[in-house]
Amino acid sequence: MKTESRIFLFLVIFFVVVAPVYAFTTFRLDGAVEVIGTTALILTLLFAAMIWGMLALTGRSTGPRPEDRGEAEIVEGAGALGFFPPTSIVPFWTTVAIAVMFLGVVFGWWLTLIGVGIGIWAAFGWAYEYYVGDYKH
Amino acid sequence: MTTARVDASAAVRPERKEKMGALFWSWMTTTDHKVIAKLYIWTALSFFAFGGLLALAIRAELAFPGLQYLHYETFNQFFTMHGTIMLLMFATPMFAAFANALMPLQIGAPDVSFPRLNMFSYWLYLFGSLIACAGFLSPDGAASFGWFAYVPLSDAIHSPGVGGDLWLAGLYLLGLSSILGAVNFITTIITMRAPGLTMFRMSMFTWNILVTSILILVVFPVLAAGLLVLLSDRVLGTHILDSATGGAMLWQHLFWFFGHPEVYVLALPFFGIITEVIPVFSRKPIFGYIGLVGATLAIGALSISVWAHHMFVTGAVNLPFFSFMTFMIAVPTGVKFFNWIGTMWNGSIRMDSPMLFAVGFLTTFLFGGLTGVILASPPLDFQVSDTYFVVAHFHYVLFGTVVFAMFAGFYFWWPKFYGYMLDEKLAKLHFWLMFAGFHLTFLVQHWLGIEGMQRRIANYLEVEGFTFLNQVSTVGSFLLGISMLPFLWNVYISHKHAARVTVDDPWGWGRSLEWATSCPPPRHNFTKLPRIRSEAPAFDLHHPEISGVGEPVAAGVALDPTKGGPR
Ligand code: HEM
Ligand SMILES: [Cu+2]
Repeated sequence: MKTESRIFLFLVIFFVVVAPVYAFTTFRLDGAVEVIGTTALILTLLFAAMIWGMLALTGRSTGPRPEDRGEAEIVEGAGALGFFPPTSIVPFWTTVAIAVMFLGVVFGWWLTLIGVGIGIWAAFGWAYEYYVGDYKH
Repeated sequence: MTTARVDASAAVRPERKEKMGALFWSWMTTTDHKVIAKLYIWTALSFFAFGGLLALAIRAELAFPGLQYLHYETFNQFFTMHGTIMLLMFATPMFAAFANALMPLQIGAPDVSFPRLNMFSYWLYLFGSLIACAGFLSPDGAASFGWFAYVPLSDAIHSPGVGGDLWLAGLYLLGLSSILGAVNFITTIITMRAPGLTMFRMSMFTWNILVTSILILVVFPVLAAGLLVLLSDRVLGTHILDSATGGAMLWQHLFWFFGHPEVYVLALPFFGIITEVIPVFSRKPIFGYIGLVGATLAIGALSISVWAHHMFVTGAVNLPFFSFMTFMIAVPTGVKFFNWIGTMWNGSIRMDSPMLFAVGFLTTFLFGGLTGVILASPPLDFQVSDTYFVVAHFHYVLFGTVVFAMFAGFYFWWPKFYGYMLDEKLAKLHFWLMFAGFHLTFLVQHWLGIEGMQRRIANYLEVEGFTFLNQVSTVGSFLLGISMLPFLWNVYISHKHAARVTVDDPWGWGRSLEWATSCPPPRHNFTKLPRIRSEAPAFDLHHPEISGVGEPVAAGVALDPTKGGPR
């Protein structure tokens, strides 16, 4: 995962340079550090650093995967890759829940309560859907 | 659209009448990235049509001085919803559509990492869009404060009514949809590539999807924060965005910190499409692959640090910094152009419809880029900001990338999506009508802007002398509207009559991995993967005499059929 992590390292380096430059330019030319943009840039820096660190550490513990090695053969990826849900209605109900919750903000909080109700049920769906029914495992 | 048509023979078409319900249910519950991509495509095209009709209504109103048949308030609603729909309900989801349709195929994956989350993103997109548009059904109408919703105009005092609240709630859901989609795409690209498909062997389209998704993760949360704060000001009575405490600037910073990168969220994936189309129809490998990757990353990073060029006229932002950074972004964009031209240079170019649209994109985007450089210079921007010059500029950029490249992608990959080719003659008619209509509509708007016609006005005076150019623009826009008909007709008759594609690569020179599986691909995409030794594995497979890449000699050729299938 070296290349993957380096993409985020590139972002880290970019914002390590740009965030202070922005803060400094606004401080020098406008008299005060422009706080909104500076905050946003620093948060972006932290975001990139977080993912860079995560990928670098994961990459170190897994070592080069077949997709990281240019001479790898397709067979090296053989075997089950994971579980791919065949069909699911849960995303629909979860969206209904969220939509109703937000409509509640506009039309009245009682709707939000109903949305939370549907949401709890939908959350069970995400967790337990494949414990029952045709695709149980 | 059909999803059941995986068989090569035309005889086995499903009996649609009886199966309508079952088909519908299969769409509602699907977790297949290819089906989700089609849902995205058709939903986004519907919103494109709706947004287009609003635009035609605006153009019709502007054809004559004075107010003809739209009320001022209706006019404001129309351009606000036109902008919002085009950007967030058409173009952004069209990115998700293409990413879903192609990215897993191009990296040799059986699906995306989180198929249910993928469908969740689609539903959020649909519901969010419907909620944001539902304002039209409310007594006060839809949001009317412009697509960037500046405070204090958009607060509860100046824009009362539920239309604005619904707009905010809907956009929040849309943002969530984009964020979850981006998480899915990034994870898929990082963890599900086929063996041998290193990062630097990924197709340029996939690279663009990766960078776009990173941009989304950086900027959409900022938009979400802004939207929630504004919603809370409107419905809970908080005072976070009050002008007295600098709220106006706070909102503009938050909005444009999202808004500018959003433009690149719309541009990059479509650049990716163009970068796939050009080498195939120039019969040459892509020129400067590494340079293109670098340029994409550079554009991504730079685009996060130029947002306040939209705020030059506030007089409260740092002009040198933002102007300089904006000029900088022209450099990697120029590199991309250079590489596209370099790819075509000395190639044996075939002007099939995808290539025609790609060249249409190059022309249009070049114009938009040039006016962009003009607008990046504050002294020039002060003169034309908020005029039709800006309207012309961003339509050249947005329409050029999104619409031209989208159709290039459609004509190119339609056989991969649906198993039949679209008709070439109609495609060319479509192109020339659209090209003429587009330039007729928007070229003259540059001059209107320079003569002083502001954007977002429903009315102008006879004496101002804007009438003629406005009429040219309106005629052009209706031509543009008409140009969509050959496309729809093309889809319809090709769907009915076109021969099934029985080979993996109907174009003959396809490069990336999607051309190494059937049209359309089976449920989990590949029954067998070729050896991957370059960024053009399908080309290597089909033209071993050129690539020198053979199949592995030992018995391990056939894939374990369980790979990638449901466990
Ligand atoms: C079908 C062809 C199109 C036509 C005829 C058209 C026409 C227009 C018109 C007349 C306006 C209003 C200008 C004003 O009153 O200030 C406008 C605004 C806008 N358009 Fe388009 N447009 C088209 C396609 C698109 C596309 C494809 C996009 C983006 C992907 C787009 C994005 C926008 C945006 C962001 C605005 C600004 C809205 C605002 O001021 O809040 N348009 N367009
Ligand atoms: Cu911008």
